[in-house]
Amino acid sequence: MIVPARQFGTLVGLLALCVILWILTPYFMTVSNLLNVAEQTSINAIVAVGMTFVILSGGIDLSVGSIVALSGVVLGTSLQAGHSLAVALPLSLAAGLLCGLANGALVSWGGLPPFIVTLGTMSIARGAALLFTEGRPVSGFDPSFRVLATGRVGFVPAPVIETTMVYAAAHFVLAHTTFGRYVYAIGGNEEATRLSGVSVRFHKTMIYGVSGLMSALAAVILTARLNSAQPIAGMMYELDAIAATVIGGTSLMGGDGTLSGTLVGALIMGVLRNGLNLLGVSSFLQQIVIGAVIVVAVLIDTVLKRKNRT
Amino acid sequence: MKRTIALALTAAALSASCNRGATTGNAGTSKPTVALVLKTLNHPFFVDMRRGAQEAADRLGVTLQVQAAEREIDVEKQMQIVENMIQTGIQALCITPSGSREIVSALVKAKDAKVPIIVVDTRVDAKAAADAGVRTETFVGSDNYEGGKLAGEYLIKVTGGNARVGILEGIPGHETGDSRMHGFRDAVKGSPGITIVASQPANWERDQGFNVFQNMLQAHQDIDSVFACSDLMALGAIEAIAAAGKTGRIRVIGFDALDDAKKAIAAGTMEASVAQFPSEMGRVAVESAVKVIRGETVPPDIKVKLELVTKDNVK
Repeated sequence: MIVPARQFGTLVGLLALCVILWILTPYFMTVSNLLNVAEQTSINAIVAVGMTFVILSGGIDLSVGSIVALSGVVLGTSLQAGHSLAVALPLSLAAGLLCGLANGALVSWGGLPPFIVTLGTMSIARGAALLFTEGRPVSGFDPSFRVLATGRVGFVPAPVIETTMVYAAAHFVLAHTTFGRYVYAIGGNEEATRLSGVSVRFHKTMIYGVSGLMSALAAVILTARLNSAQPIAGMMYELDAIAATVIGGTSLMGGDGTLSGTLVGALIMGVLRNGLNLLGVSSFLQQIVIGAVIVVAVLIDTVLKRKNRT
Repeated sequence: MKRTIALALTAAALSASCNRGATTGNAGTSKPTVALVLKTLNHPFFVDMRRGAQEAADRLGVTLQVQAAEREIDVEKQMQIVENMIQTGIQALCITPSGSREIVSALVKAKDAKVPIIVVDTRVDAKAAADAGVRTETFVGSDNYEGGKLAGEYLIKVTGGNARVGILEGIPGHETGDSRMHGFRDAVKGSPGITIVASQPANWERDQGFNVFQNMLQAHQDIDSVFACSDLMALGAIEAIAAAGKTGRIRVIGFDALDDAKKAIAAGTMEASVAQFPSEMGRVAVESAVKVIRGETVPPDIKVKLELVTKDNVK
């Protein structure tokens, strides 16, 4: 399941990128900038955890960005209504989880293609977020909540620590629990998994639930970071999360990939955006470069995989 | 083998991070750098603003770094850009906020890095900024409320105070669009013959302007005037009017006086547009930034003129 050599390739890619930027600009390789990149990457990295679960199982989740927006406004409005974080946080996580579980149920019990189901949810969750807030952002929160994004432990920004904890937990689930094994098994061969007595439907539903939950966690950090919950937040997050996952070596066919790869993939995206900003590269050119890196990374991965097989 | 290379790279990277950390503070000896962070660069308004800013920067001998998010509403990306620009040791930040309140978190980072802030075009929410202890040097922009009022007064004049109006709003909750709309509404409030039959957001976009106005026409056959809070939405509405075969029978008033809008005004498919002068905003923003860097004071509010473009004065 775990192919260290390939993950290593992605890591070498990240390091090479860092070295190139270090040569090109004096502002890149500084402690403050590297922490800055890590902080900026955290939201995409967390959304990409859920995406990795879904893609490993052979699915896709296009609704993550809209779920970020919906759980964000649930969190924001409950906080503004005077509820404590102890109430608002579970509410917002529940909103994300429910959206995910609904996706999963429609995919497994409804037998619909994940692309279609999550495309629908993408629109429904976005519309719900807009309806809920009448299109207006919900802004202004207590510093005790904002510390989740603005706080620091020592010199490390809080979102970096939160991301690390999410990855540790998700890695444990994926690598050391039966649920994790089934994620790979379903993606590898769904029919065989079903025939061996595993409730594929139940586990698939849970997998999409994980994705919804991760989007909600990302929404917590995003809301704290911007001091605002926006119904239009998280647009195109699905594409960033898919990019991080596939750059990290997870196969879109399912059954093959790792979370550490996804983390490196998310960091590659973050470092690239940061580096191009530092270099003052035109925003239009930036989009071209990022797109090219996604394609090249997956191309290298595919070529290596083919070699490994023969 | 691969592992060794990677370890070497990591070691090199780590040692570098220690070396380089100390050398970033030497700005000021060379040309000062001013950052201009725009909402987006895929809108002619901001392209013009960049042109004005660049001309001023060249003239004053400062380096101008222009960056923008891919999409106008992406506050988080704009915040990342601000964070990244701060890392490059900029001496002043000119910014057109994608969100009046949301951007404050990014401005706090600029404040902490002691980078002076010049706000352009869209105001920062005063209360949110005060709560966060953010002080901006100046605001450079047109008064959008006055612009909306200008459009409303013009509509009263040309219709003799009788019209059924549809309004295309900007993104809800954004200061620029809200001010324009309120200016317009306040101007026509005193005319009992003017009824606002529909008011819907079309999020600044041309295609949404088309769709939203098409829907409005479906619901209200008798609409005879449109006020769009931006020309892109107005241009979309003009297409929708053409598709409905009503060209020339519905007055369209827009905002921004984009080139395409001026052409439409000259061609008679559009009634008027409130002109802002984005290149002027860019110029004044950079000039103010340079003044602040030199330790000079700038007024807290710099108004850039507004003008109504109609078929009588369109160029």
